Amino acid sequence: MNGYQGKMLTVDLSNRKTFEEPIDEAFAKKYVGGVGFGIRWVYDLLQKGDDPLSPKAPLVFSTGPLASIHFLGSTGISITSKSPLLGLIGDTDMRGRMGGSLKGCGYDALVIEGKSDRPVYLRVTEGSCQILDGGHLWGKDIRQTQEAILSDAQNRNMLVTSIGVAGERLVKYANISCELQFFAGRTGAGAVMGSKNLKAIVLGGKQKTPVSDMEKVKALVKAISSKIQTDGTCDTLSKYGTWNTTGPANLNGILPTKNFQATTFSEIDKIDGDAMLHAIYTGKRTCPGCPIGCRRVVKGETPYSFSTEFGGPQYETVASMGSLLLNGNPYAIGKANELCNLYGIDTISTGVTIAFVMECFDRGVLTEKDLGFQLNWGDPEGILRMIALISLREGLGDLLAEGVKRASEKIGKGSEQWAMHVKGMEVPMHDPRGKKGMGLAYATSFKGADHESSMHDEAYQRENALPELGFTVPMARKQFEGKAGLVKCLQEYWGVMSDAVSLCKFPMIPPRPLKPGLLVDLLNAVTGWNFTMEDFLTTGERIFNLARIFNVREGITRKDDQLPKRFEETLKQGGSAGESYPKKELEKLLDEYYRLRGWNPEGIPTPETLSRLGLD
Amino acid sequence: MPVTVRFLSAFQDLTHGRKIFFVDENRFSKILADLEKEIPGLKAKLLDQEERIHPAYNVMLIRGDVSHLCHGLEFKVENGDELVIVPIISGG
Repeated sequence: MNGYQGKMLTVDLSNRKTFEEPIDEAFAKKYVGGVGFGIRWVYDLLQKGDDPLSPKAPLVFSTGPLASIHFLGSTGISITSKSPLLGLIGDTDMRGRMGGSLKGCGYDALVIEGKSDRPVYLRVTEGSCQILDGGHLWGKDIRQTQEAILSDAQNRNMLVTSIGVAGERLVKYANISCELQFFAGRTGAGAVMGSKNLKAIVLGGKQKTPVSDMEKVKALVKAISSKIQTDGTCDTLSKYGTWNTTGPANLNGILPTKNFQATTFSEIDKIDGDAMLHAIYTGKRTCPGCPIGCRRVVKGETPYSFSTEFGGPQYETVASMGSLLLNGNPYAIGKANELCNLYGIDTISTGVTIAFVMECFDRGVLTEKDLGFQLNWGDPEGILRMIALISLREGLGDLLAEGVKRASEKIGKGSEQWAMHVKGMEVPMHDPRGKKGMGLAYATSFKGADHESSMHDEAYQRENALPELGFTVPMARKQFEGKAGLVKCLQEYWGVMSDAVSLCKFPMIPPRPLKPGLLVDLLNAVTGWNFTMEDFLTTGERIFNLARIFNVREGITRKDDQLPKRFEETLKQGGSAGESYPKKELEKLLDEYYRLRGWNPEGIPTPETLSRLGLD
Repeated sequence: MPVTVRFLSAFQDLTHGRKIFFVDENRFSKILADLEKEIPGLKAKLLDQEERIHPAYNVMLIRGDVSHLCHGLEFKVENGDELVIVPIISGG
């Protein structure tokens, strides 16, 4: 089967057994890979109400068929589980090399089941999987873990994926990291890995995956790469990385500031793209086969020293550790990024949680007595202390490690009003009052507030943004009209299918050159299939609906497809002054969105829809 | 009062790091022609082959507290307006 190794590896940690199972082509065609495989298996292996941190709950690492080639981050991986943060389906992806390495070991997917009675790590090579003692790794940060593993001669030149201390301590937004550079941050997959006493996965294999038409693949790769390098649409991404977003986000009034109380930051000149380049940038890195190179290499000196070893902060981290907390210190942002990476926690959820605590202090709901120290807006030392407290679950950090939803419910006193989450997942760094489609995307994403699940309104303001998918008429970022159809389509194309085939999402954002037709051509050239655009989008729709019925099984309905109340408040200044996200507008969008999806007015897929998608 | 033109995370190599320029013109097309003298190569990068604003960039007109996304080159500007040239969003 081209594009696949045709088998998955299951590791049962409770019984210390490993076994291989075949993946047939019919299944591959139906779910493609990555998030598609992951959601299907997690759905099948769990029942309503199962604890995501119980031995029964699986953790799925799944590649897409494009991981067979090394192009635009295709060698990354999707990680799927029931999310301990949301209590719903959880999926997170990371670019880098883990997917390519897993394929190299001869597997399309790795499924972890059960729970070891003591800390372990896995060593997977071609035709072999060992469950090894990991007692010496427990308690180590991700750098120490990688060093300890690679110091063993048997592990030389192998690829290390691990959790940090936060994952061991079941912080609900703990991440999983690979090579100290790539982070599967959202939904708390690191806690699932920690709950199994699995500290690390070490991969080493060079087995090739068959490809149907390598000449055509090479031609497509050459054509797309050439466009990326010459058409100008990726120039600022290459120069600034995602820091190219910070200044424009502030200008447009969508930069979350002071826990979403505002959307413009008075100290933007200290943390925008040019400022970050000047302050902490030392170079850039690329994923395999990527001509863009958006990843930053950064360095800081005393008092906020941080190393070039880690991936530099991306836009989301600059905002969540910067403007959101009124912190205009780029060095403190770099240090906060490094600490989150070392401990192994998601920077977005961490930043939103710290912002919540700062607002609690500001409003007198929490005091120095509760935390052990005073926490003021913009206090770099306080931010760094908070990251440690949460990661180690010390003091109030133990409660905050549960996420802002649970923390605010426990703290009470009206603090629920400034706990910024959707379905339990903390809101990322795009205020939906200035980009209305993003609001609907947050409300309807199967993993709560996520900025990579659908689309970014700014990219659809020009004519002919994505004609192959029918989006030719400009849609202003602030308008509600037309956004239901846009969000639905892009949830399937950009949100789900990029992860199913395994490819970086950035080159797919209009007007960049990786157009839908080229992506389908690439999939067909790798697999030998004859997918049409309709087949491709229907597959995305199938995966999205499967995720929805997982969540419906857990009790999710229309009442949960909501936004934090703060977004109903009108912004007073900046590029989105006068904008709000009234509940009645969201309800109107939901009506249209559910109708387009073939869901009933309560947001539940109808039997006809499920039958059409082969999910009955 | 001239129009202020600001470059935000864009074209810093062409402007040699300078972010703000002042131009006494009343249409964007004229402003651009004027700027080209100070920033050679700007038009080639900011405009596409059909002389429209390149899809990789947005031009924002800031007038008081209100900002507009500009389409085309022939829009009018007034004394005291600010034009900001920014890259499109990357996705976060």
